[in-house]
Amino acid sequence: MASRIVSPNPHLHAAVSTRSLMRDVVIALLPATAVSIVFYGWHELLLVAVSVASCVLLEWAITRYLLKKPSTIGDFSAVITGLLLALNVPSTCPWWVLAIGAVVAIGVAKMTFGGLGQNVFNPAITGRVFLLISFPAYMTNWAVPGSIGEAWGSSVVDAVSGATPLGIVKEGLASGMTLDEIYADNGFSYLEMLYSNLGGSAGELCVAALLLGFVYLLVRRVIKPHITLSIWASMFVFAGIFYLIDPSHFTDPVFNLLTGGVMLGSIYMATDYVTSPMSRSGMVVYGVGIGIITMLIRYFGAYPEGISFAILIMNAFVPIINRFCHNKKYGRA
Amino acid sequence: MANRTFSIGGSHTADKKLSKDCAIEVLPMPSTVYVSMNQHLGAPAKPLVAAGDTVKVGQVIGEPGGFISAFVHSPASGTVKSVAPRKDLAGNSTLCVEIAVEGDEWVEGVDLSDTLVKAVPEDRAFILDRIRLNGVVGLGGATFPAHVKLNPAPDKKAECLILNGSECEPYLTSDYRMMLEHPSEIIVGAAIMRRALGGCRCVIGIEDNKPEAVASMTKALDELKASGLEGYEDISILPLMKKYPQGGEKQLINAVMGREVKSLGLPIDVGAVVQNVMTAFATYEAVQKNKPLVSNVLTVTGDCLPIEKQHNYKFRIGMPLSYIAEYAGGVPEEAAKIVSGGPMMGKAIANLDAPTVKGSSSLLYLTEDQTRRGKESDCIRCGRCTEACPMGLEPFLLVKLARNAMMDELEANAVQDCIECGCCLYSCPAYIPLLDIIRIGKGDVMKIIKSRPRK
Repeated sequence: MASRIVSPNPHLHAAVSTRSLMRDVVIALLPATAVSIVFYGWHELLLVAVSVASCVLLEWAITRYLLKKPSTIGDFSAVITGLLLALNVPSTCPWWVLAIGAVVAIGVAKMTFGGLGQNVFNPAITGRVFLLISFPAYMTNWAVPGSIGEAWGSSVVDAVSGATPLGIVKEGLASGMTLDEIYADNGFSYLEMLYSNLGGSAGELCVAALLLGFVYLLVRRVIKPHITLSIWASMFVFAGIFYLIDPSHFTDPVFNLLTGGVMLGSIYMATDYVTSPMSRSGMVVYGVGIGIITMLIRYFGAYPEGISFAILIMNAFVPIINRFCHNKKYGRA
Repeated sequence: MANRTFSIGGSHTADKKLSKDCAIEVLPMPSTVYVSMNQHLGAPAKPLVAAGDTVKVGQVIGEPGGFISAFVHSPASGTVKSVAPRKDLAGNSTLCVEIAVEGDEWVEGVDLSDTLVKAVPEDRAFILDRIRLNGVVGLGGATFPAHVKLNPAPDKKAECLILNGSECEPYLTSDYRMMLEHPSEIIVGAAIMRRALGGCRCVIGIEDNKPEAVASMTKALDELKASGLEGYEDISILPLMKKYPQGGEKQLINAVMGREVKSLGLPIDVGAVVQNVMTAFATYEAVQKNKPLVSNVLTVTGDCLPIEKQHNYKFRIGMPLSYIAEYAGGVPEEAAKIVSGGPMMGKAIANLDAPTVKGSSSLLYLTEDQTRRGKESDCIRCGRCTEACPMGLEPFLLVKLARNAMMDELEANAVQDCIECGCCLYSCPAYIPLLDIIRIGKGDVMKIIKSRPRK
């Protein structure tokens, strides 16, 4: 008789793997990546390539030479970190800054903790915040994209530099202007923000492309909507209250949702499996925390944008959230 | 509107009802059958025959070895060759009566006709006696003696008899075929059980991936209701949304009644009694025909079998699995694993020469590609195991606790509630052997719980 497998149940598997899930996240990020390359040109392509290559190479080198374990780059998680890091910096950023960001993201935030699944803080955001603090000039040199293809004919140095909507508002309010005056000077519109040609990090360019990826992740059941939606809802409510109190000094809820890194952060980085809570109620607590901290930084903090800091701060609370938030158990209160 | 289902967790497993259109065929007898004395939950039966005895079909050859135990009957007429331990399908030794088959002569008093007997007996004691004496056990998987469940303690009141026709495991089609080919017998069986429980309502839950079964059962129920006989009121058919493990007792109660059984509690605590449709059929035969449980229906299936080699067989209990496999055309070469039962909760067969038992429901052939587990990698904390667990547990956490032998924390995190449905391991993208480890932890915690003095 031929030898056969005897093992305990279940005898089938859903045929999802870490690799297939991570690959889906990469696919979801492709529209936003493509848009940023189309608008920002060769230099953006270089940034994406350098970032992804450094992350993957670094993880390979660390597993191979430091940990002396089998390589884990096949799980695609380093590709995601690389992509996110590149999308989180301005397209004018020098390429070597991204290489340094990759060292912090993969080397410090991920591999020192033991690699995928063990890290406390989201690697891409840790890398981004490190760069923001260390190279503030490079990290806030926002390029305003021109029309499609414009950037491809010229070098990046010629691109128009400008501030982000959030930055313009922060500076304007600090100089004593009211929001109406600031808007009148700059002429923002919601429609513009949706497909946007306003200044910002490369990946924040097109909200529509980011939303497309969100829908893909939901349809493929890669992530649950709880974290993202609770970030949006809490930001909307928080901003709504302040906007109702004083519309001349507090930006309105929709403006806050459509500007800065909210979409990129709430869809792709706050939902990182490893650094977010496991239960549905915990996800809501975590999302609301991110939303409120983001708005606190935007309204009252020194930085115009705060979602990166908010996610990092809430990452630190995940173990305690997991301790107290659990899904409903059958037959128990 | 979507059909009802249980509220917590569950997996959307593939359907794979490949053999659904294969009508039930009766298997011819082999030359020898081996009847296990341990084919029900509870104490093994005590053999009442010895080598050299002649037996008839339906003759008692084993008596209950305790309160929770069951009678065992001879599935064949012939001569007892031996009463000795043999290996069951897992390779464990179990006492078996070996009978050389010489014919098909039944004991006196069994109605072998196909006439449908619709009138439900009045007498509860008569019903329970017939069920017990004819060795009926739950055929949904657990093989719990049926008369025990149908005779709850005096302080417990059954409000709802739930008949499980969900057949939520992929591949299995035996219950489905029975609902198509013998719906009236199943419903009469349900009416009898209902009477035994004192006349509670009865809901027959069928997953909506089997609309033909819903239609067939509804038609039979309408006909019986139209007959004007008593006992068919308050029986209804409820289509349920397909989701595994719908057929789990606790899940089915939640889907049908919206109630939850407390941890370590019994269904009757919330007024529920759950029985499988096959058990209802066996009950019908036991009570209306005085026919002991000596046969059941089993599916021979698998993706590596051509459709003409897929079968639903009515088999006599005690036929060796290998005999059935050979009769069906042999084990396919690609079969890397043979499973008895469904692919989610069934047992992998180590010994194909083992005899069939009352609860046998399939010979499922899986290829290596289908059943090979991926290499385990680190937990990525995706929470899919938690989302899939129909008991709302946190398998990722239980595994960490079990691997570190943290018994108090395991109990506090409800490892003892695990129903071993396999949803966690099925859905884990890191291929962590969640259920394997949790099962060991659960066993240890249950030992601790049972060793405590009762209050």
